[in-house]
Amino acid sequence: MTRTPRKSAPAAIRLPLIAVLAWAVPGAGHLAIGQRSRGVILLITIALTFWTGVAVGGVKNTVNPHERTLWFLGQVCAGVHPFLAMAWGSGFEVPEDALRSDYIAYGQSEEIAVVYTAIAGMLNLLVILDVLGRAEKMAYAQPHATAAGGGRL
Amino acid sequence: MTASLASLFITPIMFSRLAGLLMLLPLCLAVSVVYKTIKIEDLRKVPAAVVASWFTIVGGMLAIGVSIYALYYLCA
Repeated sequence: MTRTPRKSAPAAIRLPLIAVLAWAVPGAGHLAIGQRSRGVILLITIALTFWTGVAVGGVKNTVNPHERTLWFLGQVCAGVHPFLAMAWGSGFEVPEDALRSDYIAYGQSEEIAVVYTAIAGMLNLLVILDVLGRAEKMAYAQPHATAAGGGRL
Repeated sequence: MTASLASLFITPIMFSRLAGLLMLLPLCLAVSVVYKTIKIEDLRKVPAAVVASWFTIVGGMLAIGVSIYALYYLCA
Protein backbone atom coordinates (compact mmCIF):
# COMPACT_ATOMS: atom_id res chain seq x y z
CA MET A 1 0.00 0.00 0.00
CA THR A 2 1.47 3.34 -0.94
CA ARG A 3 0.95 6.41 1.15
CA THR A 4 -0.04 9.62 -0.54
CA PRO A 5 2.44 12.32 0.42
CA ARG A 6 0.78 15.16 2.29
CA LYS A 7 2.19 18.56 1.70
CA SER A 8 3.98 19.79 4.82
CA ALA A 9 4.23 23.45 5.82
CA PRO A 10 7.38 25.20 4.61
CA ALA A 11 10.26 25.29 7.08
CA ALA A 12 9.89 29.07 7.51
CA ILE A 13 6.45 28.49 9.02
CA ARG A 14 7.02 25.06 10.54
CA LEU A 15 10.07 25.89 12.63
CA PRO A 16 8.56 28.92 14.42
CA LEU A 17 5.39 26.90 14.97
CA ILE A 18 7.35 24.08 16.53
CA ALA A 19 9.29 26.57 18.68
CA VAL A 20 6.09 28.16 19.97
CA LEU A 21 4.55 24.75 20.63
CA ALA A 22 7.70 23.55 22.40
CA TRP A 23 7.70 26.68 24.57
CA ALA A 24 3.97 26.56 25.37
CA VAL A 25 3.87 22.90 26.35
CA PRO A 26 7.31 21.53 27.24
CA GLY A 27 7.87 18.32 25.26
CA ALA A 28 5.08 19.02 22.76
CA GLY A 29 7.60 20.09 20.13
CA HIS A 30 9.14 16.62 20.16
CA LEU A 31 5.68 15.06 20.02
CA ALA A 32 4.88 17.26 17.01
CA ILE A 33 7.93 16.10 15.07
CA GLY A 34 7.07 12.48 15.81
CA GLN A 35 9.49 11.76 18.68
CA ARG A 36 6.81 10.56 21.03
CA SER A 37 8.79 8.78 23.73
CA ARG A 38 11.27 11.62 24.01
CA GLY A 39 8.44 14.14 24.08
CA VAL A 40 6.56 12.29 26.82
CA ILE A 41 9.70 11.99 28.99
CA LEU A 42 10.41 15.72 28.62
CA LEU A 43 6.78 16.68 29.16
CA ILE A 44 6.52 14.71 32.39
CA THR A 45 9.95 15.68 33.75
CA ILE A 46 9.58 19.43 33.19
CA ALA A 47 5.98 19.55 34.44
CA LEU A 48 6.95 17.53 37.52
CA THR A 49 9.93 19.79 38.26
CA PHE A 50 7.87 22.96 37.89
CA TRP A 51 4.91 21.78 39.97
CA THR A 52 7.22 20.34 42.65
CA GLY A 53 8.52 23.89 43.02
CA VAL A 54 4.98 25.23 43.24
CA ALA A 55 4.08 22.57 45.83
CA VAL A 56 7.08 23.60 47.94
CA GLY A 57 6.44 27.34 47.75
CA GLY A 58 2.68 27.42 47.47
CA VAL A 59 0.78 28.61 44.43
CA LYS A 60 0.12 32.06 45.85
CA ASN A 61 3.60 33.50 45.58
CA THR A 62 5.99 31.15 43.81
CA VAL A 63 5.53 32.81 40.42
CA ASN A 64 5.60 36.51 41.14
CA PRO A 65 6.86 38.77 38.33
CA HIS A 66 6.64 41.90 40.48
CA GLU A 67 8.77 40.68 43.37
CA ARG A 68 11.15 38.40 41.46
CA THR A 69 11.42 39.74 37.92
CA LEU A 70 14.69 38.04 36.98
CA TRP A 71 13.58 34.67 38.33
CA PHE A 72 10.33 35.14 36.44
CA LEU A 73 12.32 35.38 33.19
CA GLY A 74 13.53 31.84 33.91
CA GLN A 75 10.13 30.61 35.02
CA VAL A 76 8.37 31.97 31.96
CA CYS A 77 10.47 29.70 29.72
CA ALA A 78 8.39 26.80 31.08
CA GLY A 79 5.46 27.79 28.86
CA VAL A 80 1.93 27.58 30.17
CA HIS A 81 2.93 26.28 33.60
CA PRO A 82 3.88 29.64 35.19
CA PHE A 83 0.79 31.28 33.76
CA LEU A 84 -1.42 28.52 35.15
CA ALA A 85 0.26 28.93 38.54
CA MET A 86 -0.16 32.72 38.39
CA ALA A 87 -3.81 32.45 37.39
CA TRP A 88 -4.47 29.95 40.18
CA GLY A 89 -2.55 32.05 42.71
CA SER A 90 -4.26 35.32 41.82
CA GLY A 91 -7.69 33.71 41.85
CA PHE A 92 -7.09 32.24 45.28
CA GLU A 93 -7.95 34.50 48.21
CA VAL A 94 -6.11 34.08 51.52
CA PRO A 95 -8.65 33.96 54.38
CA GLU A 96 -8.47 37.08 56.58
CA ASP A 97 -7.93 35.15 59.81
CA ALA A 98 -5.20 32.95 58.32
CA LEU A 99 -1.49 33.25 58.98
CA ARG A 100 0.46 34.63 56.04
CA SER A 101 3.01 31.81 56.37
CA ASP A 102 0.23 29.25 55.83
CA TYR A 103 0.00 30.38 52.20
CA ILE A 104 3.25 32.15 51.34
CA ALA A 105 6.62 30.45 51.69
CA TYR A 106 9.61 32.24 53.10
CA GLY A 107 13.27 31.49 53.70
CA GLN A 108 14.59 28.19 52.42
CA SER A 109 11.23 26.95 51.11
CA GLU A 110 10.81 30.09 49.02
CA GLU A 111 14.32 29.68 47.59
CA ILE A 112 13.77 26.01 46.73
CA ALA A 113 10.43 26.78 45.08
CA VAL A 114 11.81 29.57 42.94
CA VAL A 115 14.91 27.60 41.94
CA TYR A 116 12.85 24.52 40.96
CA THR A 117 10.43 26.54 38.82
CA ALA A 118 13.15 28.62 37.17
CA ILE A 119 15.26 25.54 36.41
CA ALA A 120 12.20 23.90 34.84
CA GLY A 121 12.05 26.94 32.55
CA MET A 122 15.76 26.78 31.75
CA LEU A 123 15.46 23.07 30.98
CA ASN A 124 12.63 23.86 28.59
CA LEU A 125 14.89 26.36 26.84
CA LEU A 126 17.31 23.47 26.18
CA VAL A 127 14.40 21.38 24.94
CA ILE A 128 13.26 24.14 22.55
CA LEU A 129 16.76 24.46 21.08
CA ASP A 130 17.00 20.68 20.72
CA VAL A 131 13.64 20.32 18.98
CA LEU A 132 14.51 23.15 16.58
CA GLY A 133 17.77 21.42 15.71
CA ARG A 134 15.98 18.14 15.12
CA ALA A 135 13.19 19.76 13.08
CA GLU A 136 15.70 21.59 10.92
CA LYS A 137 17.69 18.40 10.35
CA MET A 138 14.48 16.59 9.38
CA ALA A 139 13.50 19.41 7.04
CA TYR A 140 16.82 19.16 5.18
CA ALA A 141 16.98 15.36 5.19
CA GLN A 142 13.34 14.77 4.33
CA PRO A 143 11.40 17.66 2.80
CA HIS A 144 8.12 15.78 3.26
CA ALA A 145 8.69 14.47 6.77
CA THR A 146 4.98 14.18 7.46
CA ALA A 147 4.53 11.93 4.47
CA ALA A 148 6.96 9.47 5.99
CA GLY A 149 5.16 9.54 9.29
CA GLY A 150 7.60 12.05 10.74
CA GLY A 151 5.14 14.33 12.43
CA ARG A 152 2.16 16.59 12.14
CA LEU A 153 3.81 19.95 11.59
CA MET B 1 -9.35 13.71 46.24
CA THR B 2 -9.19 16.80 44.00
CA ALA B 3 -9.40 19.10 47.02
CA SER B 4 -6.56 17.33 48.82
CA LEU B 5 -4.47 17.41 45.65
CA ALA B 6 -5.16 21.13 45.31
CA SER B 7 -4.24 21.77 48.94
CA LEU B 8 -0.85 20.25 48.21
CA PHE B 9 -0.10 23.29 46.06
CA ILE B 10 -1.73 25.88 48.32
CA THR B 11 0.13 25.37 51.59
CA PRO B 12 3.91 25.78 51.38
CA ILE B 13 6.14 23.02 52.70
CA MET B 14 8.65 24.01 55.35
CA PHE B 15 12.02 22.28 55.34
CA SER B 16 14.74 21.84 57.88
CA ARG B 17 18.22 22.82 56.69
CA LEU B 18 19.15 19.21 55.91
CA ALA B 19 15.86 18.46 54.13
CA GLY B 20 16.33 21.62 52.07
CA LEU B 21 19.77 20.40 51.01
CA LEU B 22 18.31 17.00 50.13
CA MET B 23 15.90 18.70 47.74
CA LEU B 24 18.97 19.17 45.56
CA LEU B 25 18.86 15.46 44.69
CA PRO B 26 15.55 15.35 42.75
CA LEU B 27 16.46 18.61 41.02
CA CYS B 28 19.73 17.08 39.83
CA LEU B 29 17.76 14.06 38.67
CA ALA B 30 15.43 16.27 36.61
CA VAL B 31 18.40 18.05 35.04
CA SER B 32 20.05 14.69 34.24
CA VAL B 33 16.86 13.25 32.72
CA VAL B 34 16.24 16.23 30.46
CA TYR B 35 19.87 16.60 29.43
CA LYS B 36 20.40 12.93 28.63
CA THR B 37 17.01 12.60 26.91
CA ILE B 38 17.89 15.31 24.43
CA LYS B 39 21.52 14.26 24.09
CA ILE B 40 21.21 10.50 23.52
CA GLU B 41 19.58 9.21 20.33
CA ASP B 42 18.86 5.68 21.56
CA LEU B 43 16.36 6.12 24.40
CA ARG B 44 17.14 2.65 25.82
CA LYS B 45 20.56 3.99 26.86
CA VAL B 46 19.03 6.96 28.71
CA PRO B 47 18.38 5.39 32.17
CA ALA B 48 21.99 4.26 32.65
CA ALA B 49 23.28 7.59 31.37
CA VAL B 50 20.92 9.46 33.69
CA VAL B 51 22.17 7.54 36.73
CA ALA B 52 25.80 8.17 35.76
CA SER B 53 25.11 11.83 35.13
CA TRP B 54 23.20 12.20 38.41
CA PHE B 55 26.08 10.71 40.39
CA THR B 56 28.54 12.95 38.53
CA ILE B 57 26.57 16.12 39.30
CA VAL B 58 25.90 15.27 42.94
CA GLY B 59 29.45 13.98 43.49
CA GLY B 60 30.93 17.02 41.77
CA MET B 61 28.87 19.42 43.86
CA LEU B 62 29.79 17.56 47.05
CA ALA B 63 33.46 17.69 46.10
CA ILE B 64 33.24 21.44 45.41
CA GLY B 65 31.39 22.00 48.68
CA VAL B 66 33.90 19.99 50.70
CA SER B 67 36.84 21.73 48.98
CA ILE B 68 35.45 25.20 49.70
CA TYR B 69 34.69 24.22 53.28
CA ALA B 70 38.21 22.85 53.73
CA LEU B 71 39.71 26.00 52.20
CA TYR B 72 37.61 28.16 54.49
CA TYR B 73 38.65 26.06 57.48
CA LEU B 74 42.35 26.32 56.56
CA CYS B 75 42.20 30.06 55.96
CA ALA B 76 40.22 30.85 59.10
